[in-house]
Amino acid sequence: MKPPLAPILEARAVAKSFGAVQALRDVSFAVAPGEVRGICGENGAGKSTLIKILTGVHQSDRGTIVIDGAERRIEGPLHAQALGIAFVSQELSIAPHLSVEDNIWLGHRDVPLLHRRRALRQRAREVLELVGLRHLAVDVRASTLSLGERQLLEIARMLVRNARVLILDEPTATLSDREIAQVFATLRRLKQQGRTIIFITHRLAEIFEICDSVTVLRNGYEVGSYATSEVDRTGLIEAMLGRPLEQMYPQAPSTAGGPALVVRDLHIPGSVRSLSFVVPQGCIACLVGQIGSGATEAVRALAGLVYTARGEASVGGRPLRFGSVPKALARNVRFVSEERAAEGVFLNLSVRENLLATQLDTLGAGGWMSRQRLTAAAGRLAGMVGIDGRRLRSRTRELSGGNQQKVAVGRSVTSHGTGVLLMNEPTRGVDVGARAEIYVLMRRLCNQGYAILMTSADIEEVVGMSDIVVTMYRGAKVAEYAGDAIDRTRVLSDIIQQQTAMAGTA
Amino acid sequence: MKFLRQLLGNATQRVFALFFILSAAFVALALPAGLPLNWETAFSVLQNFSTLGPVALGLGLTMLVREFDISFAGMFGLGGCVAVLVGATSPALGIAAAVAVGLLGGAAQGVFMTRLRLSSVAVTLGGLLTFGGIAYVLTGNRNVPLGNLELAMSMNAPILEVFSIRSLVAWALFIVAAVVVGYTRTGRDMIATGSDVQASVLAGVRTEAIIIGVFGASGTLSALAGAMLSYSLSTASPAGLSDVSVPAVAAVILGGASLSGGTGRPLGIAAGVLVLCLLRTGLTTVGVPPYVHELVTGAILLAFAIGDGADLMRRLTDVERFRSFRLRAPGPRSS
Repeated sequence: MKPPLAPILEARAVAKSFGAVQALRDVSFAVAPGEVRGICGENGAGKSTLIKILTGVHQSDRGTIVIDGAERRIEGPLHAQALGIAFVSQELSIAPHLSVEDNIWLGHRDVPLLHRRRALRQRAREVLELVGLRHLAVDVRASTLSLGERQLLEIARMLVRNARVLILDEPTATLSDREIAQVFATLRRLKQQGRTIIFITHRLAEIFEICDSVTVLRNGYEVGSYATSEVDRTGLIEAMLGRPLEQMYPQAPSTAGGPALVVRDLHIPGSVRSLSFVVPQGCIACLVGQIGSGATEAVRALAGLVYTARGEASVGGRPLRFGSVPKALARNVRFVSEERAAEGVFLNLSVRENLLATQLDTLGAGGWMSRQRLTAAAGRLAGMVGIDGRRLRSRTRELSGGNQQKVAVGRSVTSHGTGVLLMNEPTRGVDVGARAEIYVLMRRLCNQGYAILMTSADIEEVVGMSDIVVTMYRGAKVAEYAGDAIDRTRVLSDIIQQQTAMAGTA
Repeated sequence: MKFLRQLLGNATQRVFALFFILSAAFVALALPAGLPLNWETAFSVLQNFSTLGPVALGLGLTMLVREFDISFAGMFGLGGCVAVLVGATSPALGIAAAVAVGLLGGAAQGVFMTRLRLSSVAVTLGGLLTFGGIAYVLTGNRNVPLGNLELAMSMNAPILEVFSIRSLVAWALFIVAAVVVGYTRTGRDMIATGSDVQASVLAGVRTEAIIIGVFGASGTLSALAGAMLSYSLSTASPAGLSDVSVPAVAAVILGGASLSGGTGRPLGIAAGVLVLCLLRTGLTTVGVPPYVHELVTGAILLAFAIGDGADLMRRLTDVERFRSFRLRAPGPRSS
């Protein structure tokens, strides 16, 4: 086991309720300096409530927070920062119009009014080096940075505030594999410096890759804390779910139908060139590639969202024209976006209105809606995607990420027997329980006669769900695998192209 | 070519370039025709600048923080009325009163917005009508003469041939604003607030204080511009002595500000105002009838907006990126 270091941050029997909802019940945990602690649990398990208490956003009803052995009351986020606890939220707080240096010092309390100082610039360079962004000029605008660089910049900002405990909320959710590796390298460096990292993620593989220990929460209870060497993936999932998980990825059907979606020579200026593939009916195909590989753009193009796309495509033998969503819908090609909040669902409308939004034309006559048919259709769809019928009138904003995603999928399901469902990142920000449900739903749609084309940055999901994998690198197709030939290592080496690069220089 | 791209990439430089191109064009038109080209022309441009400039600056600052202050036209009129009503005996007191009214009125709007989470357009639309209405009530719907011609003379007396007190004050305001935005923590926090307000809150910026402060500044600037114009014309009108609303918006947009926030710097706005004032004076000098002015101004604004279009730029650069990409793609990545 680890040497017995005194914990730097400790929560003792912390409880919090919101109205009638008990969000946290007597949760205790402690982290030592230099420890990387994962926190996992389904949505609603109490992860974010716990974090908000640790960072002073909420005050606990009962229990105490102990920092460096002293009991503390954390008044608010700024107070937490002063105590050395920094939070990097999922929504990054980088101002795109400011320079890298200004972003690092933004909101810092000790910056003088006239803030162009050599000392500040020097310190900014130091922390940039620490997070592995040495190559960045401090004058460059943050808007030119990649998402991964912004994530690291955000960590750099916390370092100039002398953060000793960094709390990261799903830092890898929107990053490419290469960027994730960069973030992890930084985290390891910080760990060596004796800084503590609390890491929240839905991707279990990352827990085992980066964390020393993991705390599992369920329904506001602390299920337990384990060293990652003592627990395996299945054990962790079962701890989160509170029941054995039958199987994460449902069995693929043995028979595939005729070609449902045929794409030939798809060109998108600047992102995709000469991409061809076929998705048979009842199959799940996945375009895999790093950010910049063109995979997400290709899917968006098939949804009719890229007007510069050229090439040929057909759905069920009938040609599909690019650049028009209505034309795509006419072939029953439906799209579930990776940007759930912005493009997936209407957050301010009810679940019911969201579910029906894309198929109002079938639910009335002459421009009038039939209330009866609306209610019936909403109930049917909710049942199909596994949303509690009582939640139909709730605002979609109030749902968890997993349930929002089910709504986004649900509104793409029609009574048509066949069609193509396009899904970019089908389970981004979705917890493990809801994830399994979405996988089952995807398979059920396939059995109904749909073909699914998806993209995903989660390689486990790619391997687990796909019947066909098309790997892409910098806009071009690298290879195509089907069935048993789909292999994690080959897919990874295809999309990273590191081996090829080495072979080329050798 | 690279120089040109650099120039076009920077909103402030671009609008200054437009100013110099227009100046050269007017000189080229006026010289052969033997039209009057003297210091007075420049003086007249700068006099217009001193009226429109501070108003546009205030609006531009609110756009920098991703808000929009419509109330400036109302505050412009009210500032003039307050200055004339209070300043009959002591002009300094009149200016002080106008500035106080502007500061309080603007900041009050900011407080409404931040505390009640209202949109700036809704609040300042109310402000526009309220401030204008107060001006009508205070003056009893009449033009109020100041009756201090000496003051008017001194306000308009040329200094160094082309400047006057008014235009020097306007330039000073722009320089102060440029320093604040460019070199102080407050300015950085303003840009951050306009760039991404949620991110700024998370980073620890006091965005509410920034927004209240910016609206206070905007009110102050509009009221001061109104007061100075009233002094120099020796009269005040609740209807406003000059229509500043459309030109101010035009100048700010020319100056590089955008409704999406975070862009537009004080000197860019100054150049935008200069362009509009130059157009007004220049077109008159070369003999273009006033009713054609708007057409010319509109055409220039439209051309500028099209050139500014993000989509146009993206399409042009996309083609380029694709080309270079195709050249490199087959080989392994060199890095």
